[in-house]
Parts: sequence; structure tokens; C-alpha cells
Amino acid sequence: MALEVSYDVIQVTLLSLYVSGCATILGSAIGIPLGALIGLKEFGGKGLLKTITYTMYGFPPVVSGLAIYYLFSRAGPLGSFGILFTPTAMILAETLLVIPLTTGITIASVAEVDRSVKETVKSLGTTPRQSVLTVMREAWVGLVMAAMIGFGRCIAEVGAAYMVGGNIKGETRVLTTVIMLETRQGHFDYALGLGLVLIVVAMAVFFFLRLLQEKELL
Amino acid sequence: MKQSQMVVVAVAVVAILAVSAAAAFVLTNEEPKKLRMATTTSTQDSGLLDYILPTFESKYNCKVDVIAVGSGQALEMGKRGDVDVLMVHSPAAEQIFVDGGHGTNRTQIMYNWFVIVGPDNDPAGTRNATSAKDAFQRIYDNGTAGHAKFVSRSDGSGTYAKELSIWSSIGYNNTTVAAFSNDWYKQPGRGMGEVLDMCEDMNAYTLSDDATYYSRVDVALIPHLNITKQGDSALKNQYSVILVNSTTWHHINKTLAKDFLDWISSNAGQDLIKSYVKYGHQLFTPNAPGYASATAITGFVDIGRFEDVTAGTSGVPDAKLMAKDMRAVAPRGEAMDGA
Repeated sequence: MALEVSYDVIQVTLLSLYVSGCATILGSAIGIPLGALIGLKEFGGKGLLKTITYTMYGFPPVVSGLAIYYLFSRAGPLGSFGILFTPTAMILAETLLVIPLTTGITIASVAEVDRSVKETVKSLGTTPRQSVLTVMREAWVGLVMAAMIGFGRCIAEVGAAYMVGGNIKGETRVLTTVIMLETRQGHFDYALGLGLVLIVVAMAVFFFLRLLQEKELL
Repeated sequence: MKQSQMVVVAVAVVAILAVSAAAAFVLTNEEPKKLRMATTTSTQDSGLLDYILPTFESKYNCKVDVIAVGSGQALEMGKRGDVDVLMVHSPAAEQIFVDGGHGTNRTQIMYNWFVIVGPDNDPAGTRNATSAKDAFQRIYDNGTAGHAKFVSRSDGSGTYAKELSIWSSIGYNNTTVAAFSNDWYKQPGRGMGEVLDMCEDMNAYTLSDDATYYSRVDVALIPHLNITKQGDSALKNQYSVILVNSTTWHHINKTLAKDFLDWISSNAGQDLIKSYVKYGHQLFTPNAPGYASATAITGFVDIGRFEDVTAGTSGVPDAKLMAKDMRAVAPRGEAMDGA
């Protein structure tokens, strides 16, 4: 059986990390403040908004990919940017997947912060901004968890990555899409090997973050 | 968590990302010129592109970005201006694409063969079929009677388009085919290799391109599947290159796209295609207009109804190669329907 490695596994792995990492940061930067806003502020329709956010946990990656494809296709409204089939497009598509997760988990984490803490913060006469920061600090573990789950979803994702990235050798080929390619060619054992790389990489990232948490660095 | 710690963590995360990004980009050989080509999975998965493209890339100092999808999706990408050039195998859809003003210079460059693949015991008797049409009729008759199964690609691929055209030639139009009973006609909507694996599991028939079939045999995934019918001109799989309309889409790299078309149709490009041998078979036969090949192919006039001039000619190179295949029970050239 001839198995030819016609691409650089290290490069593919790094691109996976880069795309997932950027999408996680972007998705957290948008989702966490949004979640805090929804979680801490009282307003009409809050319950409905929360339900919608939780429902979006199941947002199908392939739909996110299709949406980004349509937006950034040359025939689409943002086609002039010319970012289709680049890592940037992949990051955007995966950011769409991360936002509901980070938003939802932040809402839940903020809600879990003890009511008494909130009351104390208020009674101390701090400014609203300070009290928000205090609550966020209390909810910190949950926020980190939100980002981690977002990262987990990104690095394991294949539908959107394939659709808007195009699995171009040396450019938009990531671990999941290359596993698909190898499987399609019947190179099951090689695909399995790459799957192992993916698992190890994903677990290493989580292990590292967990370590930081235990050392109370995170 | 202290603020200083937060800063440390933030710096660490940013550093890791920056290093991955830098490494990814350094490892990515950035070339000055780029050609973006949408093609079908068969040309990529067979290894043909990895074999021929480096020659073109070094000659023109460029990089070809290959996006391998189904023919339908490739044409859609061309229509939307997302790629510069197409290499596809779906004649009827290509004609519509060109007629619609989405592309120009449609040029045939090579062909390979579709084969009808079935289980060892050949319950539908397709080995005795006189033509591809006859084989499909036998599969239908035995399928509806509960003796045989067929797994269809049922996706936007050129292979599915070919399958539909054969069903249509024996009186089953697309709607009728889509409504065939699930009892015998499976429509998974998956890639060729996966469909072959399903056939192995289900003792079913399918229509496959020969390259994917050989590659699956090579990795010993389909020990019980055989080619039961091949060589009929109706099973010819013609590939063409189409330039995406550069009048509609100004960003298209039309010079490089045209260079590619000229190169792949040239004797150098055609010879290179011809020299690609994998799994013990020459997988693609070059037939660009004007190419001095052993197999003189008639002009690219009537899409979808190619005359198989190789029929009955024993000196044809790919016929020899095919005959080597021990699994090929129906030699090419036998029982042509002349469609």
C-alpha cells in the first residue's frame, strides 16, 4: 500500500491551531461581553433571548460555512474582499460557531455567581462598572470554560472549514479536512494516524489550560 | 486571579498564536502568481494533479490552488467567480454553464472510463449485458424483483450525472430515478470511495470511475467487488477545462488560466497525462484537439455522444492495460452498443 504524504503535517497542524485559536479569541471577545450583558442586565424579552442563545448551541457548522461562503463569494455582498478560500474566511465561519457557546456559557456562569455577592457588591456602593468586573471575576472559571469549549468545537470542525477554506494544499488545509481527504482516498490507516495527531493536539491544548487553572494562573 | 497573572496568560496565548501563524505562513510557500482551480475529487484523489501540476507550476513560476469538490459545486464556484479555471466532467452541465455565459474556451483535455461494479455472484447478470444500458436494465429488473441492489452517488457529481444519463437512455427520467424504491436503490449522497465501500457491505452494484475503483482495490477495501461491465462508449468520462468568464469577473487571473489551458492541451501537457500510471493502469487518456495520440478521437462537436473509435482496435494502449486487470471480466471492446 502506497501512502504518499503530499503535504506538511506540521504546517497543517499549526494552521489548525491558528484558525481555531483566532476563532476562539474572536468568539470570546464578542460572546463573553454579550453574555455578561444579557446575564446581568434586566430587560424585557430576556428569557426569550436566553432561549435563542441556548438553542444556537446546536448551530450546524455546515450552515455557518454556507453563510460565510455566500457572503464572501465574489458574487456575494462582501465578495470584493476576496477572502474566500483563505484562513481568514475559515476563522470567520468558526467564530460564528463559537459566539453562541461563549455567550450562553457566560450567561449561565454569571447567573451562578452567588446572589449575595452581587448584593454585597451593590451595597458597597461601587460603580456599576466595578460591580460588573467583580461578578465577572467570580464567574472567571466559567468564562475560561466557555472559551475552551469554543476551541474544542473549532478544532474538531470540518464542514465549514472545508466549504470556505477549500482544503487547499499549503494554504487552507487543516487536520480535519485532510483527514476527510485521506479517508476519501481510502487511506484509512493514514487518516487514523492524523486523527491521533488531532486528538493529541486538542488534548494538549486542554491539558495546558487545565494546568494553568490548577496553578491558578487562569 | 490577579491582573498580572492575566497579563501573563494573555501574552502566552498571543505568543502561541503568533508563532503558529508565523510558522504556518513561513511554511506556506508564497508564490507571486496564483491560479485557483476548481476540479472534481477524482482528479485530486487519483493523484493525477499532484503528478502533473508541479511541471506547470515551475514552468510558469506560479502556484495552482486546487479546490476539489463535486462537478456541480465546481461549476457553481465558477459561476460565482470564486475560481479562475475549472476542470470538470459533466458535459451536459458544462454546456449549460458555457451557454449561460459563465465561461469560455471549453476544451476537452482527457477522458477516463466509468465502470459498472458489482458483487462476485453478479445477481443481475450484468457480465452478460450487451451494453451499459442493458446492464442498467438488468439491475433495474432484478432490483425491483428483490434480487439486486444499487448504490447511487446521488450528489452533484459528474458520476451521478452520467448515471442519470444512462437511466434516462432506458426511459427512467431523473424524477423517476429519485423515486426508485429504497429497498434496492440507495441514495446516500456520498463520495465515490465511500459508495464503493457501501457496495462491498451491501453486495450492491454501482457506477464508478475506474480510477477510484482501482484505488479502492489497491488498499484492499473492496475484495468482493468486480468490474462487471466496461468499455461501452456510453461509459466514457470526458474531462474538460473551462475558463471562468473574465469579463464578468475582473479579478480573475485570465492570463494564467489561459496559460494553463494552453499548456495542458499542448503535447507536453498531454504526454504528461498519458504517462501517469497508478495501480498498474494508465488512468487518463489525453484527447485534446490536435493532440497526436495513438487514439484519434473525433471532434468535440456533440457533447454527450462520443464515438468510441477505440472499439475493436486491439492496438489501443489503454485497452491493453485494462486487459491486464484480472478482475475485468468483460474485456473492453466487447459488446458495444454504439450509442
